[in-house]
Amino acid sequence: MASEMKLGPVEFSAVREITNIGLGHATKALSDMTGRAFTMSVPDIESLTLEEVPEMLGGSEYQAAGIYMPIGGDFTGHIAFLMSWPCAQALWRMVRGSGPQSSLEVSEMDASAMLEIGNVLIGSFLNALSDSAGLSMVATPPYLAVEMSSAILDSIVCEASIGEHVALALRTQIHDTEGAMEGFFVFIPSVGGLKHVFATLGIQEAA
Amino acid sequence: MSVTTSAVLVGMAEIQVVKGSGQLTCLGLGSCVGLCGLDPVTGVAGMAHIMLPEAFPGKGEDKPGKFADTGVPALIDAMAKAGADPQRIVFAMAGGAQVFKFTANPESKLDIGTRNIQATTKKLAEMGARVLAKETGGDIGRTIKLSVETGELTVRSVVAGEKALCNLKA
Repeated sequence: MASEMKLGPVEFSAVREITNIGLGHATKALSDMTGRAFTMSVPDIESLTLEEVPEMLGGSEYQAAGIYMPIGGDFTGHIAFLMSWPCAQALWRMVRGSGPQSSLEVSEMDASAMLEIGNVLIGSFLNALSDSAGLSMVATPPYLAVEMSSAILDSIVCEASIGEHVALALRTQIHDTEGAMEGFFVFIPSVGGLKHVFATLGIQEAA
Repeated sequence: MSVTTSAVLVGMAEIQVVKGSGQLTCLGLGSCVGLCGLDPVTGVAGMAHIMLPEAFPGKGEDKPGKFADTGVPALIDAMAKAGADPQRIVFAMAGGAQVFKFTANPESKLDIGTRNIQATTKKLAEMGARVLAKETGGDIGRTIKLSVETGELTVRSVVAGEKALCNLKA
């Protein structure tokens, strides 16, 4: 298991701030990409342990969609955006007008649309982080899985466990005029990486 | 038949051992490998939820179940401590998938699942272990469940539903 941390109040508000900036960028990028007006919010930002995420997605064996991206650049780590299957369908509908009926019927077109959404969401989130922290974080080509939520998380944690990392999960809502969906950013910076971010923001000690 | 036994969850990097009755389960294996062992005579069963092929230097001691190279001997030790005869333990494994099957960049392959299968298989062979069945690789997530009493090992996936893989007491 990647070593995990729970955030203290100061780090918490810093992450909230960064996340809001990140989501602002991500929303604008998603709206530009689709020509529709999206808003995003972090209603109740929580720092979750990775074990808690499958429950938030409905349960370990419930199907979910996850877009995963290793972070390149000076600051290495892993980032993913996870949603329950109904929320993934809602996102497809919001962006493309339609989506696969079942998780076994995800076409190449569906997948590439979702990968593009993930690229935009995660890429702009990373941009916001690197801008505010003055670190180089580079988006790499994303991966998509449609599977049991714990199988997706299990695989992300394996990738991340090659080094030592801390993990953060952030609940996020995306709305447009026709609907809303909820997803989770899972951010696994390398050890030292998050402290570096906090240090750059003037926070002395990470919890 | 009315008895409902709650399964012992084997979380990532864990090793769990039970004796006689009950169930052991790994929920939603992705790249991880679930390794099960059973000594049919004493009824001692064990399960390891292996995450990575090899321990980094100095890291295998505190969480031996995390790595294939330390996890296989640690599972056998834990079962022996509970009364199993290591020579009698019959093994089966599942998992080691690559669930991130869609990517715009087919050249960059995530292959931890494959490496986990190879490392686990290699370590089992080195230790002269008898492996009865495997359901590994591919791109599907799997939940495995071992009934300690009957020895039946089932694998559940979204695609195939729940199926018996083998019986470790047979």
